[in-house]
Amino acid sequence: MAKLSTEMIHLLGNYGHIGFTFVAAIFIGLGGGIYLDEKFFDGRTSPWFTFIGLAFGIAAGFKSLFDILRTQAAKPDDTDSEG
Amino acid sequence: MEHPILLISIILEKLGLPIPHGPVGNTFLEKLCEPYMTYTWFVMIFLVVVGKLTLSNVEMIPGKGQNFWELIIGGMNDFFNDNMGKELTEKLFPMIATFALYIAVANLIGLIPGFMSPTSSINTTLALTVIVWVTHHIIGFRAHGVNYIKHFLGPIPVLIPLMFPIELISNIARLLSLSIRLFGNIMAKETLLGILFMLAGAYFAPLPIMMLGVLVSVVQAMVFVLLTVVYFGQANEHAH
Repeated sequence: MAKLSTEMIHLLGNYGHIGFTFVAAIFIGLGGGIYLDEKFFDGRTSPWFTFIGLAFGIAAGFKSLFDILRTQAAKPDDTDSEG
Repeated sequence: MEHPILLISIILEKLGLPIPHGPVGNTFLEKLCEPYMTYTWFVMIFLVVVGKLTLSNVEMIPGKGQNFWELIIGGMNDFFNDNMGKELTEKLFPMIATFALYIAVANLIGLIPGFMSPTSSINTTLALTVIVWVTHHIIGFRAHGVNYIKHFLGPIPVLIPLMFPIELISNIARLLSLSIRLFGNIMAKETLLGILFMLAGAYFAPLPIMMLGVLVSVVQAMVFVLLTVVYFGQANEHAH
């Protein structure tokens, strides 16, 4: 395979899932919050865990974004460094 | 949306097996005869038969078939070695290479009229993703023992209550994003091809989408494998 296309595949693989991972993290946080509110506490704490879960979800989205950027920035120098 | 014509379903219906008319069957036999199940079996049989035909007598000077496989397997082996180290590659090469071949063939088979991609069903992709996700945790536990939990605690001890839920959510997000990306891409390709085929199949309207479909199929298979390799490598590394 040509070098250009392998590089393109690498870029697609490394950066192509940023959007999906970000959205998935937010939705999982929100879903967990809603589950805690409605099923675990029977709606007594109603909006609060939803908001907390949403905040954690957004934070997790940004965290996975930074992870992707950091691992990619560290890669060209030494592949086996500690994260 | 279903394909207009599915060859294996027609053959099975002629044989007297129940083919579900909705997306999900009711009885156990109907569930087994759903198109994505039958086409999964078809892809598996295809891979086994092709492997048997081309590799039945391995020679010192490779022929056409053996050359093809040596190129693919050698390329994958180098790629895994670069990305997750020799040890893990030796242990896990059969699994990841099987995933790569299976996903690539399953994606490409949908381009042939009368066939569908098994990967255009969320059940198939979710099953593959759950296997990968569980395996990367097993690798982590085997490499680090109880200390594997440090992967989820962040760099500073004071921030553990904040970082633990965040790391947990972003880890579970891998499960969702890996499965839905493959499913979404392939399902979009299949649906678009089906619609264009019904609207203007006589004027070769699906042809440009088919060309894009080849690209999407190969790239999605490679992306799935690349991310699998990256996750396995990360689980094996030391915590930051």
